[in-house]
Amino acid sequence: MATLDITDWTSQLRRGVLELCILQVLREEPSYGYEIVTTLAELGPLAANENTIYPLLRRLKADGLLETFLRESPSGPPRQYYQLTADGRRRLSALQKEWQSMSGAVAECLRRGERK
Amino acid sequence: MITDKYLAALEAALANLAPTEREEVVAEIRQHIADASAAGKPIDEVLQKLGPVDALARAYQLELLVTPRASAPAQSSSDRWLKIIGLLALGSLPTFIIVVVLGTIGLTFTVTGIGLVLAGAADQVGALPAWVEMNAEPWFAIVVGVMLFVLGVLSSWGTVAYIRFVVRAVKRVTSPAA
Repeated sequence: MATLDITDWTSQLRRGVLELCILQVLREEPSYGYEIVTTLAELGPLAANENTIYPLLRRLKADGLLETFLRESPSGPPRQYYQLTADGRRRLSALQKEWQSMSGAVAECLRRGERK
Repeated sequence: MITDKYLAALEAALANLAPTEREEVVAEIRQHIADASAAGKPIDEVLQKLGPVDALARAYQLELLVTPRASAPAQSSSDRWLKIIGLLALGSLPTFIIVVVLGTIGLTFTVTGIGLVLAGAADQVGALPAWVEMNAEPWFAIVVGVMLFVLGVLSSWGTVAYIRFVVRAVKRVTSPAA
């Protein structure tokens, strides 16, 4: 039986929470692709490849959770900024609750395991 | 230049996306390369982190396949109006006949059926008004009345169902995502 490598496991876990983290990064103010990538990279385990983040941004836009607009850049052509839509804010709120519930349950599970 | 080659290959690999979507994706990756270069990162490293063109294109296609509307070419306004005109041309005469015939049958049969049942019942108990002339047995009037009523209700139901169907068809055609 094939076993899941720890790197694959981390990658799958990260992929699952990346949507929540991207929405959270955009909660306060709009941002552009490179800035989102570097912000997530600063958070260590959440650092994801560009070829994961950019396609995900497009999907979130296609889902109506994000919208884009162009803003002048100090260097080069205008940048494409992402910002949350009303649906995006609702989705973020739902995901936050789900994550808190899930992470609390996992923490409790680990705590019980340690007691035994 | 290596960046231009990468972006041209990416554009080619994304040929099945809608043109607007493809242009935005390529512009965004171009912007990413420019931002990373401006931050002092070597171009080779930036392209390496973006990954092979095929893998990046596959990742986009995978994400956008989850919501096919996003990658499907948008229906133009003229296409939509042509569809509406075609639908109306095909549907107007049948719609007129079906709605008028079924609607008329539905209304008249229902009302007549109720009238016959009431008249038959009144005749049965001897309460039929003098100005109503009845040349049939009361039970016969009641049976025919019930039959007409059922036919009338079915016709009315058919009319409403048909109108709903036409409205749904028009909505589907006029929807921008259709």
